[in-house]
Formats: sequence, C-alpha cells, structure tokens
Amino acid sequence: MVDRPQPADAGPPGRIVLPPHRARARRPFRDRARDWTRHNLFPSPFGALLTLLCLAVLVALLCGIVWYVFFGADWGVVSANRWLLFAGGFPRDEEWRLWAGVGLVFLMIGVAYGLWSSFNRRDLLFLALASAFLIFLMAHGGAAIWSSIWFLAALGLMLAGYAIAVRVPRDDSPLRARANRIGVALLVLGLPVVLLILMAGGGAGANEFDGFVLNVILAPVGIVGGLIVAIPLAIGRASSLKAISWTCTAYIELVRGAPLLGWLFVALFILEDVIGGSLLVRTMVVLAVFTGAYMAEYIRGGLQALPQGQNEAARAVGLTRRQTLQQIIMPQALRVSIPPLVGQAISIWKDTSLVSVILPMRELKGNADSAIAQTEFLADRIEVYVFVAVIFWIVAFTMSRISQRVERAQGVGER
Amino acid sequence: MAVTGGQPSLPPPASTPFWYRRSFRNYLFQGVYLIATALVIVYVINALDLREFGFGFLGDPAGFAVPNQWLVDYDGVTNSRFVMYLVAIWSSIRVMLVAIAFATVIGVIAGVSRLSSNWLLAKMAMLFVEIFRNTPLLVQIVLWYAILLIAIPPINEVFNLGDAFYLSNRGIAIPWPVPDGGWWNAGDWMVGVWVGALALAGLAAWRLRAARIEKERETGQPHYPNRWAFSLFATAALITFIALGAPVSIDKPIIEGTRYAEGMIVSPEFTALVLGLSAYTASFIAEIVRAGIQALPAGQSEAANAIGLTGYQRLTIVILPQALRQIIPSVTNQYLNVNKNSSLASAVLFADLFFVAGIFQNKTGRALEMFVLIIVTYMLISLIISAVMNIVNARVTTHRV
Repeated sequence: MVDRPQPADAGPPGRIVLPPHRARARRPFRDRARDWTRHNLFPSPFGALLTLLCLAVLVALLCGIVWYVFFGADWGVVSANRWLLFAGGFPRDEEWRLWAGVGLVFLMIGVAYGLWSSFNRRDLLFLALASAFLIFLMAHGGAAIWSSIWFLAALGLMLAGYAIAVRVPRDDSPLRARANRIGVALLVLGLPVVLLILMAGGGAGANEFDGFVLNVILAPVGIVGGLIVAIPLAIGRASSLKAISWTCTAYIELVRGAPLLGWLFVALFILEDVIGGSLLVRTMVVLAVFTGAYMAEYIRGGLQALPQGQNEAARAVGLTRRQTLQQIIMPQALRVSIPPLVGQAISIWKDTSLVSVILPMRELKGNADSAIAQTEFLADRIEVYVFVAVIFWIVAFTMSRISQRVERAQGVGER
Repeated sequence: MAVTGGQPSLPPPASTPFWYRRSFRNYLFQGVYLIATALVIVYVINALDLREFGFGFLGDPAGFAVPNQWLVDYDGVTNSRFVMYLVAIWSSIRVMLVAIAFATVIGVIAGVSRLSSNWLLAKMAMLFVEIFRNTPLLVQIVLWYAILLIAIPPINEVFNLGDAFYLSNRGIAIPWPVPDGGWWNAGDWMVGVWVGALALAGLAAWRLRAARIEKERETGQPHYPNRWAFSLFATAALITFIALGAPVSIDKPIIEGTRYAEGMIVSPEFTALVLGLSAYTASFIAEIVRAGIQALPAGQSEAANAIGLTGYQRLTIVILPQALRQIIPSVTNQYLNVNKNSSLASAVLFADLFFVAGIFQNKTGRALEMFVLIIVTYMLISLIISAVMNIVNARVTTHRV
C-alpha cells in the first residue's frame, strides 16, 4: 500500500485534530536541525561511530572522484570520439535526421509527463544536470557548437510539449479524452516515425546504425516487440487448453534457459537459414523473442494476481470471452505488472550493450572499444568506459524514475 | 487462471449439433493449433538441414589450451574438446559460486542498510543500489578490468608479501593446499580418504548440533550447539589428518619468469568478472531484501524493541528469518541470472563455457551443435541452483514458527 497524504481531518478516532499550522508552534530551524541530526546521525555512541565511518568513506570516495574527473582523467579520448560514440557510421551529412529523432523523443517524454504526471523539483534538477553534462561534452573542444544548439532545440521541444500538455484539465472532459488519445498515439507511432525520419529519402541504410543510436533503436524494438510477443504467450500459458499452455510454457522456459548472448549467437550463425533477413533484423527478432519470454512471465503473474471473480463477473453480465479478456482481464493484469515490465525494459536497455560482444555490430560499448583501439588513446580505457557507463546510467535511471511516476499515476499497489 | 477454458456447464440439449459444443470446439482448436505448430517445427528443421548434425567432433583433440584451470589435470592440446568443455564449465561454476557468495553478503548488508535509521548509511546504500543497478553489467565488467590492469603492478614489479602472497597483472597468487604423499608416501588417494572422513565428521557434527538445539528447547538451559559441533569437527579433522600421515601440504606460489607457478592463482579476468557480477547482483538482492523486510508488519520490529533486543538481535532473530520467506524465491531468480550473466566472461576473454563454445564454433563451424550444448549446460546448472534453493526454501519456511 502506498501512503497517500491524508486530509487534515482524517486523524485517528478520538483525537482532536487541529489544522496543521496550529498543531504545533513551529520551532526554530536550529532546534529542528539539531534534533534531526541527533536522531538520524548521532543516536548513540555506536551510531555516531557508524556515521563517522560512513562520512570518512564518503569523503574519501568524493575526493577520489573529484580528483579523477578534474585531474586524473584525460577526457580527450571522449571529446575526440564524440561522433564515433554517438552515431559511428551514420552518414555525417544527415546529422539533422538524428536531431529530429531526438527532438521527437524529447517531445514524447514532455507530452507524456505533462499529460499523466508533472515535473517536480528533483526531476528538473536531474534534467538540468544531465543536459549540462551533455552540452559540456558536446561543446568541449569547441568543434560542434551546432550539436549543442540542436540539443537545446530538442530540449525546448520537450518543455514546450510539457507546457501545453500540462494545461489540459485533469477531469472527464472531452478535451482531456482527446488529449489522452493524442498522447497514446504519439507514444505508439513514435518509434516508426523516428525510424522513418532516420531512413527515408536518402537517410541512413540499415547497416549504418551505429553507436548510441543503435542502442536507442534496438531497445524500443525489443520492448515493443517483446510486449507483442508476451501478451499472447501469457494468455496461452494461462489457458486451460493443455496443448496451448504446454507449448507456451515450453517456449518460455526454452528462451529463458539460455543467456542473451546465446540467442545473439543464434541470430549470427543459425537464424539466417531459417528466416533470412539482414543481421539487424535478425537481432531485432531475437531481442523481441527473448524479451517476450520474460515479459510473458510477468504478465502471467499479473493474470494470476487477479481474483477469479473478475472473470466470472464479466461472464455473468454477458460479456463474451474475448470481451472479458480485452476489457476486464488484460487491462487489470497489465496494470499490476507494470513495475516488473519496466524492470525488464530497463534490463533490455542495458542488454543492448551485449550486441557488440559477438555480433559484428557496434553499439555504444562496441564503439568505445574501437575508440581505445586507436594508438593515441590506448591508455584511456577507463575514461571511455566511465563515459559509456554514465550514458547508459542516465537513460536507465530516467526510465526507472518514469516508471515510478506511472506506478503512482496508475495506482499500482493500491486498491 | 482459466481464460480460454470451458466452464462446467449443463450438457447441451440433444438437438444441438456436436460442432456447437464447447468441448468439440476446444479439441478442434487445439488440433489445428498443434498441426500449425508441427508445420512450423518441420519448416525450421528442414531449413536447418540436420543431415550432418552430431556431436562426434567433440571427441577430437582441441588443439589449443585455455588458461585458468584449477583442480583438473589437463594439458589442453591432446585432450578432447569434450574434456576442454568440461574444464570450461568448471571455470564458469567457480565464477558463479564466488559471485553468488559475495553478492549475497553485500546485497543483504546493503538492503538492511537502506532501512537503517542512520540517514547517511541509508543514503549511501541507496547510492550503491542506484549506481550499480542502472549500469550494464558488461560495461561494469570491462571497467573493473580496465581499473585492475592499471591499478596493479606488472609482473616484473610484483608486490610480494612474505613470499606467500603475490599481486601483479598476472593476478593474485596465494598458498593453497595440494595433495601430498604425506609421511607414508601413499599417493593422492589418501586425500580422498581424508575428504571422506571430513564429510563424515561434518555429518556427525551437524547431528550433534541438532541434538543440542533440541535439548536447549526442552530444558531451556544453554547447551552451546555451535561450540560443540565445531569442536567435534575440528578434533575429528585433526585426528584423521595425523592418522593418515598429513596427506595435504600447503603449496607456496613461486614466480617462474613472467608467470606464477604453484599455489592458487586468481587471474585479473576472474577478479574483474567476479567484481562485476557480485556488485551488479548485490544491487538487485539489496532491493529484494529491502522489500522483504518492508513487507513485514511494523509490529514485529516494535515487539522486538519492546522485549529489549538490541538492533543486531532484532535483525538476526526476528526480522530476517521472517523476511527470508519472501526473499528467497526472488533471490533464487537472481542466482539464476548470475548463471546466465556469467557468459559475459567473453568480454574479458575469460575462458568460461560460452567462450570456449564460441571457439569451437569458430574452428569447426558447428553452430547448432554448440548452441544446443550451451543451452543444455545452462539449463542443467539452472536446475541444480533451483533444486538447492528449493531445499533451502523448504528448511527456512518450515523450521520456524
């Protein structure tokens, strides 16, 4: 159960509840700070020792990190290989396509936040820090001032989308319904439209996706494809028809039996004889099939969490099986399984880095390996990998923050 | 949950034709579905062209050697590929065991710390979890490896601690027990006898401990089960060790040219892999532990405080034993992930089973066979982990009230 802020008059029975501002005279800040410190940091001699120990570790870590970032590390390797890490083999003349795609994605995030949630101070701080980091990175060395401008434009698009979307009243009005529909359409159509922007009319070829761009393309394909595979699989596994539930179970267990690297091995060496297609397409298929098996298990968990009465009640009021499934069962099951599904989405985002371990495809981590293969950067392994880790972290952390919002907005864990 | 299934209903009136009946439709649907599935399978088998499928090539000599072997008498060149694969499986299992042990300890500490009343400690645990959970394991492993290679001295400037402990870019070398003929020059089988004796002693000690615990319950007096069990085991181990003529001796590591010999050698690749796997998995286990503890009613903790338990006692006697019930199934899942994630050894060229299978594929072109071998191996290891954790789970959930 998530604690909701209680209205002021909802205290325990039998206790007189005063309005909050009269409940207790506000003590001076110094007293409160002292009490807080005593209670949370120095409650007992042992507690004080623990705090001091933590403080020592923290200070040592911070000093080490600050020293490394500003003095120890040579970030030249990152700024010299910006483009390689970001887009690699993507045609340089078509850079605007990338930025248009980034703008669209940012717009989607802004609209989604505006419609279904809102930025709080922490979100804005995180956004500002991440943007400052990226702009610093792009401006470092001075060559690519245009990239920073493009990025700022995309950021502006996000804020504009947010500013418009947040104004839609949160009620049952038709305007709200239409705004919701537009938001969902934007999310659903976003991926194909971005691909269209990147590829259509003389854009990039399928094997020119590279670096960070490749991660950004593979992960949503894995997530959306995985969901498409997972929903029928989960229903099939929960079916009372033996033939269907057994084959679905066998599929799920088979896929979960081998690591993702094993399935990428299949995409590289075996799948070509079966489905053909380019390596990029086969990798996408493998990612979807792999993610689907895991997501199916989470959705099945959601299905099992529903009380049997939901099914019976829907059938009793005369809905057909299909209507029951579509309108009663699946929406509830999916809502319950949002947290693990997002966990899986984050996991597939991180797993896109595995693509370059055995496939001849180079995503962000793969291009980091190429960056340090250059003779002048042989000694800069740590710098490049730290940078790659930070980039992966920013996206994964953003995803986990968004999922917490969705959970709260959807009331997961309540009711 | 029966979504598609037929509900028990009255038999239809005699006039209804059989093709309207739910049971008939279910059979028909499943029949069509099975035929379609079979067609797909036939197509796939046909496309894969299984005429040459077979595992005979595993019997041929491997022709190359992998580093990182312990406990196996193996030269790598004349042995068959199959033996080499077994060595690689053993390498993988070693990684898993060490990583699982570290991840569990770090994860439990971090998970408990996140709920600490000490604000600083809780925030630091949160920082740990958020950093390691949201970064790809692959990047973590290569980063650890890069740090290790820069931080430790090269072999010609090896860090030497009393000729017993060495640290260099060839790894860590420490003394390690090895079989020895002993005072009677009996041969390596003596070790087997001693290990068997140790197992028996362990069993006896376990029984003694259980009996002492039982006595403690009946009488309410302390009967020191752990002390008794440990004393029994230690005495038995010492007596058999002397009786068998010291069949084990400690081998000190030495440096031969640019590599270590003797002793136990922990390579930087292994260390990087274990560091990455443990930190990554620990961040997930920490979240599981936290959720498990938070799911307990607050009254448990309050009651423990009320009867005067210290914070440590509250945690180990009251909170954790109960929270384990919810924790163990999720932690089992994480252990299964460690199994699969250990395949990332390829990133630092550590010769685990996936890496060696990749080399075999490269040399023989037998991709399908190698994939079948890989998936069967990982599934077997998963099964073993699940079985062990099921036993642990059964003990934990039934033993206590």
